Amino acid sequence: MAAAAGGPDPLFGLRNNFYLGAYQAAINNSEIPNLSPDDVVERDSLVYRSYIALGSYQLVINEIDSSAATPLQAVKLLALYLSAPENKEIAISSIHEWLEDPAIGNNPILRLIAGIIFMHEQDYNEALKHTNAGGTMELHALNVQIFLKMYRSDYAEKQLRVMQQIDEDHTLTQLASAWLNLAVGGSKIQEAYLIFQDFSEKSQITSLILNGKAVCCMHKGEFDEAETLLLDALNKDAKDPETLANLVVCSLHLGKSSSRYLNQLKLSQPDHILAKRASTAEESFDKAVHAVA
Amino acid sequence: MLTKFETKSNRVKGLSFHSKRPWILASLHSGVVQLWDYRMGTLIDRFDEHDGPVRGVHFHKSQPLFVSGGDDYKIKVWNYKLHRCLFTLLGHLDYIRTVQFHHENPWIVSASDDHTIRIWNWQSRTCISVLTGHNHYVMCASFHPKEDLVVSASLDQTVRVWDIAALRKKTVSPADDIMRLSQMNTDFFGGVDAVVKYVLEGHDRGVNWASFHPTLPLIVSGADDRQVKIWRMNDTKAWEVDTLRGHMNNVSSVLFHSRQDIIVSNSEDKSIRVWDATKRTGLQTFRREHDRFWILAAHPEINLLAAGHDSGMIVFKLERERPAFSLSGDSLFYVKDRFLRAFEYSTQKDTQLIPIRRPGSNTLNQGPRTLSYSPTENAVLVCSDIDGGSYELYVVPKDSYGRSDTVQEAKRGIGGSAVFVARNRFAVLEKSSNQVLVKNLKNEIVKKSPLPIATDAVFYAGTGNLLCRAEDKVVIFDLQQRIVLGDLQTSFVRYVVWSQDMESVALLSKHSIIIADKKLLHRCTLHETIRVKSGAWDDHGVFIYTTLTHIKYCLPNGDTGIIKTLDIPVYITKIYGNTIFCLDRDGKNRPIIIDSTEYIFKLSLLRKRYDQVMSMIKNSELCGQAMIAYLQQKGFPQVALYFVKDERTRFNLALESGNIEKALESAKKIDEKDHWYRLGVEALRQGNTGIVEYAYQRTKNFERLSFHYLITGNLDKLSKMMKIAEVKNDVMGQFHDALYLGDVRERIKILENAGHLPLAYITASVHGLHDITEHLAGELGDNVPSLPEGRKASLLIPPSPALCAGDWPLLMVSKGIFEGGLDDTGSGAHEDYEEAADADWGEALDIGEVDSIQNGDISMVLEDEHLHEENEEEGGWDLEDLDLPPDADTPKNTQNARSSMFVAPTPGMPVSQIWVQRSSLAAEHAAAGNFDTAMRLLSRQLGIKNFSPLKSLFIDLHMGSQTYLRAFTSAPVISVAVERGWSESASPNVRGPPALVFNFSQLEEKLKVGYKATTAGKFSEALKHFLAILHTIPLIVVETRGEVNEVKEFITVVKEYVLGLQMELKRRELKDNPIRQQELAAYFTHCSLQIPHKRLALQNAMTVCFKAQNLSTAAHFARQLLETNPSNENQARTARQVLQAAERNMRDATQLNYDFRNPFVMCGATYVPIYRGQKYVTCPYCSTHFVPAQQGQICNVCDLAVVGSDASGLLCSPSQIR
Repeated sequence: MAAAAGGPDPLFGLRNNFYLGAYQAAINNSEIPNLSPDDVVERDSLVYRSYIALGSYQLVINEIDSSAATPLQAVKLLALYLSAPENKEIAISSIHEWLEDPAIGNNPILRLIAGIIFMHEQDYNEALKHTNAGGTMELHALNVQIFLKMYRSDYAEKQLRVMQQIDEDHTLTQLASAWLNLAVGGSKIQEAYLIFQDFSEKSQITSLILNGKAVCCMHKGEFDEAETLLLDALNKDAKDPETLANLVVCSLHLGKSSSRYLNQLKLSQPDHILAKRASTAEESFDKAVHAVA
Repeated sequence: MLTKFETKSNRVKGLSFHSKRPWILASLHSGVVQLWDYRMGTLIDRFDEHDGPVRGVHFHKSQPLFVSGGDDYKIKVWNYKLHRCLFTLLGHLDYIRTVQFHHENPWIVSASDDHTIRIWNWQSRTCISVLTGHNHYVMCASFHPKEDLVVSASLDQTVRVWDIAALRKKTVSPADDIMRLSQMNTDFFGGVDAVVKYVLEGHDRGVNWASFHPTLPLIVSGADDRQVKIWRMNDTKAWEVDTLRGHMNNVSSVLFHSRQDIIVSNSEDKSIRVWDATKRTGLQTFRREHDRFWILAAHPEINLLAAGHDSGMIVFKLERERPAFSLSGDSLFYVKDRFLRAFEYSTQKDTQLIPIRRPGSNTLNQGPRTLSYSPTENAVLVCSDIDGGSYELYVVPKDSYGRSDTVQEAKRGIGGSAVFVARNRFAVLEKSSNQVLVKNLKNEIVKKSPLPIATDAVFYAGTGNLLCRAEDKVVIFDLQQRIVLGDLQTSFVRYVVWSQDMESVALLSKHSIIIADKKLLHRCTLHETIRVKSGAWDDHGVFIYTTLTHIKYCLPNGDTGIIKTLDIPVYITKIYGNTIFCLDRDGKNRPIIIDSTEYIFKLSLLRKRYDQVMSMIKNSELCGQAMIAYLQQKGFPQVALYFVKDERTRFNLALESGNIEKALESAKKIDEKDHWYRLGVEALRQGNTGIVEYAYQRTKNFERLSFHYLITGNLDKLSKMMKIAEVKNDVMGQFHDALYLGDVRERIKILENAGHLPLAYITASVHGLHDITEHLAGELGDNVPSLPEGRKASLLIPPSPALCAGDWPLLMVSKGIFEGGLDDTGSGAHEDYEEAADADWGEALDIGEVDSIQNGDISMVLEDEHLHEENEEEGGWDLEDLDLPPDADTPKNTQNARSSMFVAPTPGMPVSQIWVQRSSLAAEHAAAGNFDTAMRLLSRQLGIKNFSPLKSLFIDLHMGSQTYLRAFTSAPVISVAVERGWSESASPNVRGPPALVFNFSQLEEKLKVGYKATTAGKFSEALKHFLAILHTIPLIVVETRGEVNEVKEFITVVKEYVLGLQMELKRRELKDNPIRQQELAAYFTHCSLQIPHKRLALQNAMTVCFKAQNLSTAAHFARQLLETNPSNENQARTARQVLQAAERNMRDATQLNYDFRNPFVMCGATYVPIYRGQKYVTCPYCSTHFVPAQQGQICNVCDLAVVGSDASGLLCSPSQIR
């Protein structure tokens, strides 16, 4: 892929926008001339995944028909999986089926989507089964994330080193090292911050980047600074669940009221991890009261 | 060698720099002395009076004089201002080789082939000394720059040093001089006023040149034996120190460099050689193809040298003098001597950072050329020409601002140029393979990237981008995408200056500047005749640059102008408003204050910021022909109008800007026919009939005026015009007017009067005026003309005009803000806004259009996409087939095999679990989400059993312990545990304790709020605050033991308030039980409160008791109140009154359960006093006392702990555990 390509990479800008969370920009700037057929498929998959990221699941499901290439089918499956809870079963069974199929089972995007879906299912073993072999920067980056989810930063670091060997300056490599830096903490937080800072200088500022910076600030104990960044992010996208979630955390630390943001989050994304955390916390509190009493 | 200027001429034998002006004198073999401006490169003057070659020439240090000596035995003194020779000194008997002014005395020393050296007084124009002793041609003689010495070189193979101290003594008074004249002959041989001090023998052939070291007692000489010799002298003797061998032919001239420790010599072997004066080794050699060198001269003040050869001369310097610098934020990093220094603009503080490696001085010009700085990493790249281009990477230590003198071991590398392209990446140009190496701070290659054009230097162009320079173009290259973002044809670019926002770039070449945008889209090009040196962008987007001689500006549209002239070249580094910061050649930072009015004014005009323009016109003196011409040329005549006093110019400008009223004013003042005419034309163009009429009247242009009336339908005036024409005897005019008026009778009359009877007849008959026809026929007699038959005649009546009165509706000329604005300041501002608004509207419209276009594009994009997809579908079969060849299967199978072998690692331990394991602090357990262990801890430590008040606190702690990081798109977010007490040096992978949302300082704030509410008497609100504090404290974590004690004190303080407030609230509920009311009020005073609150409580109790006639108790409270020294006078007075009243009647009406003499504590639940010695139980958390009956109940005060239960005590700091 982009790893050892000698010539200019026509999809570079598109990919970057996508990775950095500038989904609308990715969609808007997807019209790139003179693409090879492979690139066209990749372009389309990125565009559809951008739509998914924006929540337009139905559009993706409708636009990809049965004759589309495997990667696009996989993307459609992801849209299906995310669109409604009742579709999850179907999506999972078809992904299993496809992964078994030797003709397409090795397709990197299919494997990537499988990894994402199994991550959502919190079945990290199954996810890793398909993604651990790597092959694309995206798969490596996903691996990093899975390992972080599993609290195995040692494995994540190994994956990152692989990525760094392939292309140290790749956007995903940079992002992944920021994730890892944040996870291991300590002095690495500053490095993570600098990575996000670099992104904010180099490219369009997205709420993903602002959130990244804000998270770093919070870890550094600079909650005022974090709040400014998060409010910036909220200006860009008032419904972004991570922005809201981080604002809840930030407000708590600043001793400000967080309930508005929490309610907003609960309304727009009832299954967000923070919303879930809030409700499970209440339950476990009541349970604990009983247990202790 | 950096050649600054070159001339082509006859052989140059003598050279002399002017000490202040950029001038050099060259005396030629042809007998001409040329005066050149080497900066502008122009021949200023030539002096042609010598007969035969002129070998010696020298400028006077301060007077407008120079001296020359030639083969005509003549020494001539010239005034270059008067362009003529002032006088000639005669005396030498052979060719004169050199002449030189003394630096302070009015003396000239000359060396001649007549074996003598003569010293002349150019004021008395006499020879004052003849130095004899050489026995061959004296090739050169010169004064010592400070001492009374002369050094001479002769073909007799010796160098001689002469002591002329006696001469100076003799010339103290000019009278002596005259006396000396008579003596001179007697002194001619063996004179005593100039004696040989040393004779330096050592050269094997004739010596051509000798010169002193400017400061040290050294002499350097060059001779026909091809050697350069260094001599040292002390008070008593002089000796040869060393010999420099290397020249292949006679050495013509040699001198010490005044600023560097080097010797420069030139020779007939066609070379100039540079020697290290200390090591006495050759450093560099510059050769010419065909020209032998004859003479060498050094500039007395600046770093310039000149050499004369067979076909001209060159002015040059040996080393670049531009300090390498790099700008970062508020700081300038630059290299001076062998140190990296930083200059902070805001404070103007200059700091020495670190020493850097001194280049090995085996070659010249190896100093740092460029600098690149990465602020986040505090790293500096220093590039120089060493080893054909190399760089050194230094990291500036953060705090210890390099006191040390030791050079840190820099990371080095070879490369054409090196520049930071990201925080921790720099690009190094590898010329041989035409690629850039991207390296990290460890100097390891991260990536290689071939360059799109043959590049000989790279510059910064934003993060991740490089500006690559080739001979004739530059490109911006994206290192990551490997694509060219923009390119531009340019002349050879030397420096690149980006604006602060990285939107604009200035490319500086030797004689031109190109301004482009960030994609290298060309904006404008400037050409300069004088070398461009440096530049910087100001905040308004104006590019300020320096040439060798000037500071100039360049507006975004390419307009330029001079801001200031410069005495010495400077390098602009940054611009703050009116202050330009620059580095001079000595590496000193200098602020230069400039007047920015002119370019700001022009910029405002350009940007159509008329409000600014207006205020500048009003407030500053901008007038001048240049400005008017500029305004006119740029299409702002209406602005220029306000600068001009001269009426003619005003008139022209008014016409140009269409301001007819102003033009009229001026026209009235000028009152010339031509101007009226032009005014009329313009008024007609605009349709201002009033002024047209007026102008025609003034020019007495009756024909036009008549026609004008006709057109405007002004028939009255038209008939008047007819009368006027009649008076003036202007028949034709009269006839026209009649015709215009349609007045047939008049016409006939006119024709008749004019003698055109047939015409009159025809007119009359055509119009059917028979009486006149007949009358005319009678007069005509036989000559009655015949009328054509069969034509029906009709009266030609001019059409009635559309509008008969006043001016025609005028074209709406948009009134510039300047009209009226300046005449009438009141309304000016208002109009400004209107204009501005208009401009905005216009722009808004544009944006709208752009938007709609974009939208269109997007829909097109979408359509295209569909098309693409369709195409793809059609071709899709092929693709899938291609994907399937067996080759593709093999790797996949192996991979499947691998993936089945792969064993996923077991999940690690979540950070929250680590927290739980490590900590025995309840708050940290709660943050980790382990509520039950948290609760157990609290119950063990503080006996807390009632957790419901803590619910929201627990949940907040838990929620605040993680942040959320969206990582891979569409994949679940990563939650990251937030740790407390981060520091930059914390080591990674070592888990710190969780960050908690509550901290001690928040509680302090809350306490203040509680106090305030208490003072204001809002007791229930205050109680809420205090309770909240009491509930939060179990979940507080502090660091030190001292803080632990503070927290514990806090509990007591807050507890007292809670108890007191609870009692006070209770008291208020009990309206009908006055005894209990008094008791509670009394108990309240026993809570330890802040003094003001204590007073209020006492006053309260006093009042309650006084009202209930419990005077003795009231008096007790009054006394206590007075003891607190209340600042409130009311309080004190009331207390005294109560005391007085009570003293008269010292008794209590009712018996209270209150004995203030007997110490007691309050029961927190029943609010009864527990006197000393009585049994009680306490709350394990807040330590409130209770009567024993309360044992096992939830504490009434803190609402958390069980009264009387066992507890280990508050644990709120890790320091308590250690």
